[in-house]
Amino acid sequence: MPPSLSLLRSRSSLSSIALLALATLAACRGGEAAHRRTLVDARDRYDPKSLDPALSTDVPTGRAVSYLFDGLTRFSADAKVGPALATRWDVSPDGRTYLFHLRPGVRFHDGTLLHASDVVHSFTRVLDPANKSGRPWPLYPIAGARAFAAGKAATVAGLAIVDDSTVRISLDTALAIFPKLLAMPVASVVPAKISPDFGEHPVGTGAWTLVSWQHDDFVLLARNAEYFGGAPKLDSLMIRIIPEPSTAVAEFESGNVDLLYVPEADAPRWEQTDEKKALLTSAPALRLWYVALNTTRGPLKDVRVRQALNHAVDVHTILDKLLGGRGRLAAGVIPPTLEGADTARAPYAYDPAAAKRLLAAAGYAKGFDIELWLPQDPAFARVAESIQSYLAAVGVRAKIVQRESAAAREASRNGQTDMFVKDWYADYPDAENFLYPLLHGANRGVGGNVSFYENPAYDRIVSLARTEQDSAKRVTMYAKADSLEFADAPMIYLFFYNELYAVQPWVKGFVAPTIFNGQKFLDVTVTPH
Amino acid sequence: MGALLLRRALLAIPTLAGVVVVAFLLLYVAPGDPVLEMVGERADSATIVRLRKELHLDESLPRQFAHYAGGVVRGDLGRSFITGRPIARDIAERFPKTLELAGSAMLLAIVVGVSLGVLSARHPGGWIDRGALALAYAGVSFPVYWVGLLLILLFAVVLHWLPPSGYGRPVFLVLPALALGSRSIAFLARMTRSSMLEVLSSDFVRTSRAKGAREKVVLLHHALRNALIPVISVLGLDFGSYLTGSILTETVFSWPGIGRYVVNAIGRRDLPAIQGTVLFLSVVFVAVNVITDLAYAAADPRIAYD
Repeated sequence: MPPSLSLLRSRSSLSSIALLALATLAACRGGEAAHRRTLVDARDRYDPKSLDPALSTDVPTGRAVSYLFDGLTRFSADAKVGPALATRWDVSPDGRTYLFHLRPGVRFHDGTLLHASDVVHSFTRVLDPANKSGRPWPLYPIAGARAFAAGKAATVAGLAIVDDSTVRISLDTALAIFPKLLAMPVASVVPAKISPDFGEHPVGTGAWTLVSWQHDDFVLLARNAEYFGGAPKLDSLMIRIIPEPSTAVAEFESGNVDLLYVPEADAPRWEQTDEKKALLTSAPALRLWYVALNTTRGPLKDVRVRQALNHAVDVHTILDKLLGGRGRLAAGVIPPTLEGADTARAPYAYDPAAAKRLLAAAGYAKGFDIELWLPQDPAFARVAESIQSYLAAVGVRAKIVQRESAAAREASRNGQTDMFVKDWYADYPDAENFLYPLLHGANRGVGGNVSFYENPAYDRIVSLARTEQDSAKRVTMYAKADSLEFADAPMIYLFFYNELYAVQPWVKGFVAPTIFNGQKFLDVTVTPH
Repeated sequence: MGALLLRRALLAIPTLAGVVVVAFLLLYVAPGDPVLEMVGERADSATIVRLRKELHLDESLPRQFAHYAGGVVRGDLGRSFITGRPIARDIAERFPKTLELAGSAMLLAIVVGVSLGVLSARHPGGWIDRGALALAYAGVSFPVYWVGLLLILLFAVVLHWLPPSGYGRPVFLVLPALALGSRSIAFLARMTRSSMLEVLSSDFVRTSRAKGAREKVVLLHHALRNALIPVISVLGLDFGSYLTGSILTETVFSWPGIGRYVVNAIGRRDLPAIQGTVLFLSVVFVAVNVITDLAYAAADPRIAYD
């Protein structure tokens, strides 16, 4: 009998059906949370692109790759570089040759032994134009890498197998950060023989092996009992892909997920409830929020105008009121946790009178009209709106232009934006990862310098620091470069954001990572609850 | 019927060709560079130039179109710029899940909507009628996105009856189907009600009552059958809104269907994935329209297409 007929029979049957349905549903509800040794991570908003390290250019992909694979080096949760597949490395006195000694007896998930040739093959593969890798640049410092990537050489000249457990890598020029570049997901080591759909069926040496990947739904990983770094304590790790932040919060509150990235705009609300606050954990992430000022456009060409804009905005209040004070005001681009940061340097003071004086001196006593661009993001939108009102107070009439992310990014890279609200998240924990891509003249546009800032003195110091072998000297150079650019104000310096995670009380041992691929869940446990 | 089917199928070809052209051109007009999305935040211009060449994006627009259209004619939708996976496989993986959701939502809308409509028409102005009217206003007015979040809050977070989101056992289907069907429930309830009222006042209903038929038989056998004809055509036309509605519903409920696939593809400017999905969904839409026409003809003998 069709349900419509039974509904018609009497009014009482309607309510009894409803009750029955509800009882059935209640019986079905998950008791899955209890007694499992799986951790469910709900931090990712979208599916990894692929599980092939060569295609890794974004956080969900990079994080998944780092569970399945290892590089020669790796990052710890507090963003220190350390040995992984290489137990140690020797650097030649001129800093141009690295000898990596491989860990003996490491096996891939399919049981084959790791050889030195796998390392050479993996790096060659990323550089091979046939593989359409979007991010070969971490390997470009290797001698001959660019020529190979351009199809002008048959092999990568700088890669050599010394013996079965030693690889020699020669660089074009000395580069102190090279071991850090090798801890990036794209530099993971893959077996020499790989299947055509390697991105779907990855085989690595990592702490976790792939069980199942349901696109846009979840990635399920199982512990690699043979892992050289000690097998993970959990049985399995599930990465759930939840695109809507409010839904992720609902899943967390229902106890279905164990780990949540608290959206920036929600942070104050979480911190105001004691019960929720107890679940929060945080780390000073290597993430700078700023407003890139295009130094080649209109009034922004004048350094006094750029300084004035910095004085005009009360960043402290913005951070406090809109982001729950989760961060530290920026006085330069180097995060305070990295060497080279001058923690004694004071940020631009909020001083509208000084801003007006600087604007008048630059010939803009009556202010000017300008565009303030941003991608679609609720937290950025609030920040942009308050910046707009602060600027209005000193006579600068900013028009907010909000575009979908890809369109906004393209416009900024093409130099079509006056001011652009954005953030920058480090790929590797080094001051160079901020100074070089964001503000070096060589990286204007697509390289990441959307301020189009160019200062020969700054460029020279940053370039020299990249090749400097003496770490004390290098740190001094970083600090010097940071102070140069801070005075030139190619951006409105906002803050370094402390990322906020919510962790269920039954999860033990989770340390919020400073760098995105620094937490591999080796020591994390889930207690019965 | 066979001739009708053939004629409609032939007519669909120019429609779909138009879709291919428009989908292709729109993406080149829209801002946002697919290669910039492939390389991520920090990139080098050599890689960008190389990728652009490999993906034929450096060629003239007509050549690019010929390249794409050639593939489509051969039945090859190409590979995703971002993931490298074949688009056809991606669609085959996700569309059944969207169909499952849209089908359930539609079934729910028919069962609940038509029942409410019949009950309302039985006693116009009664409490069921007024309640259904309120529900209908709510269903039509609230955006599916918001309804979805409210349902999650009530049934998952507060009451713990249902899982908030995800894909799997039938229990995961309840909330998204309800959210996606809510607008249709409201719409169908109002449609059925007015259609029923019209039919109930017609001569043959009076006659069947006069000959002593029971009220249940009058309502369901005589009246409802006739009242359903306009409802069927509305259902067919509404199918498009199930597909577009699934974009939002799938996002709110983490449902791994084709709606989310296309949203992701647009966000990343994954041209082959967007074009392939748009084309595929157009085919589905055209097919559903043909089926609706056929069903309409079958339901009402007075309708003929020749």
